[in-house]
Amino acid sequence: MLIKNGNLHDGCGSVKKGDLRIVDGKIAQIGENLAAAEQEEVFDASGMEVLPGFVQAISLWGVNGSMQEIRPSSNDNDEKSNPITPELDGFYAFNGRAASVQQLGAYGVTSCGVAPSDNNLFGGTIAAFAVEGVNPYKMCLKRNIGMMASVTPNLKKTYGTRPAAPMTRMWIFTNFAEHLRKASEYKETPEKPSDDKLTALQKVVKGELPLFVSCDSLTAVERVREITDQYPNLKLILVNGFGLTGEEEWIAERKIPLVIRTAANPMEEDAMDLDLKAIAAFAQKGVPVALSGTYTNSLPIREDLLWNGAEMMRVVHDPEQVLSMITSTPAKILGLEDQIGVLKEGLRADIVIWSDHPMKTYQAKVVRTYQAGEVIYKEGDEKTCM
Amino acid sequence: MYVIKNGTLYTMGRQGVIQADILVENGKIKKIGKDLSHEGGEMIDASGKCVTPGFVDAHSHIGGIGPGTEEDLNEITNPLTPELDAYYGINPDDKNFEIALKQGITTSCLAPGSANVVCGWVMAYKSAGKDRVVKRPVAMKGAMGINPKGCYSKTNQAPMTRMAIANIMRTYLKNVKDYMKKKEEAAADPAKMPPFDLGLEHGIPVLEKKIPLKVHSYMHDMMTVLEIAKEFDIYITLDHAQGASDFYKELQDPHVQGVIFGPTAECLFPGEGGKLDPECCKGLDDRGVPIAVMTDGPVTVVNMLLFEMGEAVRNGMDPVRALAMVTSTAAKIIGVEDRVGSLEEGKDADILIWSDLPSCATDAVLEQVFVDGECVYKS
Repeated sequence: MLIKNGNLHDGCGSVKKGDLRIVDGKIAQIGENLAAAEQEEVFDASGMEVLPGFVQAISLWGVNGSMQEIRPSSNDNDEKSNPITPELDGFYAFNGRAASVQQLGAYGVTSCGVAPSDNNLFGGTIAAFAVEGVNPYKMCLKRNIGMMASVTPNLKKTYGTRPAAPMTRMWIFTNFAEHLRKASEYKETPEKPSDDKLTALQKVVKGELPLFVSCDSLTAVERVREITDQYPNLKLILVNGFGLTGEEEWIAERKIPLVIRTAANPMEEDAMDLDLKAIAAFAQKGVPVALSGTYTNSLPIREDLLWNGAEMMRVVHDPEQVLSMITSTPAKILGLEDQIGVLKEGLRADIVIWSDHPMKTYQAKVVRTYQAGEVIYKEGDEKTCM
Repeated sequence: MYVIKNGTLYTMGRQGVIQADILVENGKIKKIGKDLSHEGGEMIDASGKCVTPGFVDAHSHIGGIGPGTEEDLNEITNPLTPELDAYYGINPDDKNFEIALKQGITTSCLAPGSANVVCGWVMAYKSAGKDRVVKRPVAMKGAMGINPKGCYSKTNQAPMTRMAIANIMRTYLKNVKDYMKKKEEAAADPAKMPPFDLGLEHGIPVLEKKIPLKVHSYMHDMMTVLEIAKEFDIYITLDHAQGASDFYKELQDPHVQGVIFGPTAECLFPGEGGKLDPECCKGLDDRGVPIAVMTDGPVTVVNMLLFEMGEAVRNGMDPVRALAMVTSTAAKIIGVEDRVGSLEEGKDADILIWSDLPSCATDAVLEQVFVDGECVYKS
């Protein structure tokens, strides 16, 4: 099919008027005055804004838990029986229908990352999915994207109150360091059964699996830096951005990616210490900055990326830059840049046509949303209910 | 005294949107007009700026719930606590009042939390200033659905069901009615005076239709509240109101003093969270039902009131009508429109200066906030 005469925002800062052709679920061609082939469906996007589908880097979409199922239970990304579970695979936390029922396409979102919770020191691996579908295997864009770690007080709140370890930050950072050290020295031997935890963490140390670390403060970020600096191949990604001042030169020099979980909730004291001016300053210096969802396990919000975009707009007043923080940059941080996040020939046709620029004005409405070339929402569709 | 010069004033009163000056004196709006000046008075240039009334958050718990407080707004020991008063649960120094000011909220309707079926009195309170109580009480707070059920089911106490919730609510109002009748009879025969009961006393202004019953209610629970309102001929406000778009016809009822929608900051969840419809703001407004939005602070995201307006606008509402949901209409629904919610002569000088229209432009920056004429925040 052919989308004609739209303002095409590529998600990397460029805007131009043009046409976009979708063939077999992919963006086949972008250009001017593309002629419709015989029987090709044409959508006239004159006066409309054509954007890549939003990518929520870390989310709770599709994750079932006590609010969704009849038995009191933990969220499926929250294995709080043991603070060290690097061997777990976040893929299994995802339920396709649980994501689909939220109708995220109506909010401009077409893909989401699912990570283990912030309640474990090493929680397991991150996976990413399309938002509409049933079968997680068909919806999955990538597994083993990275290892989710957390050095936040959520560990103390989860375990320390039982009481069990960790009860202190001493335990948290000592074990963070020790597990990475053991993993770096780990060798599988025929005499002993293999150690799943260290095997998983060894990939982190070797740089085969990026390490996403959720931190609550600048001090925590510095401790994580000291510990991970000992492993030159380790790929560090900082999650939240709480406490960063913009002066942390090493983040700018090494271009450490930042996944910002804004929409700060005053119920979360940790989440209040976010300076978006500092985050914007890092972005100016070329640090990859992705805006993501809410901090911790509160109910996810479908408008998260729209609202976090608005928060950033009040700081940088540049709609294309902010758009990149919810499209191309999160796709890159998740290692999905060859699949989604940009309007580029060859990538998946995850495209949202808006009546106006959603980063500029609240008057922007979704006209239609394509996931891999299929319309998953169009203006006027009934909103789903439960 | 000073003059705010040449702003685009969204008065939210009879004057509509005008280009004019505001003369502020003794904490009040003294005059609105062209070319105002005051000898020796300060001038604040608002050329090219949007000037709005201070925002009124029609449903909040800041100062009493969340970090920085000692959790003094949810007395989860008895589902029937009409004798309580939010006034005593508020910490005036809670940092959330500062956070509120940064999104333009100058008056909050502070309610007890919704653990109890009948929770206690609600007050209107300013985010800053010397005399911060705008009105007390503005309502009696009530709650339906999963909050009372969830809180008391844990200990096998009533209410464990919506059946019991309706019964507790109705019995309370009936008792207030009986109490009032006995007091009336005591006018002729003092021996008939019932023993003083603070909880029942607190219900009298509700039955006298001086204040509404302000009820946490989602979806069909709103219809239960409406049935009770008709039965006792009282005013109600329906707070949260997720699913209101299913009940447009029913909500056009003289007992409904207003609907206070939100927060949108949730996903769908089974039961009472099964519908989330910010489009109801326009739907209700078009039908003449007074509609406001809320932060439910501090439970949701910072800047919730801005986003709530924004989502109403995304769903087709005119940006100025959306502004009414956090100013004039909000003030009217909570019964403080004589003091706040519009830029009109004689009203409190609670004034916001914005770089752009906040119900429309995502990057509108709040530049100055005045409460009772005092500048309390500058960007």
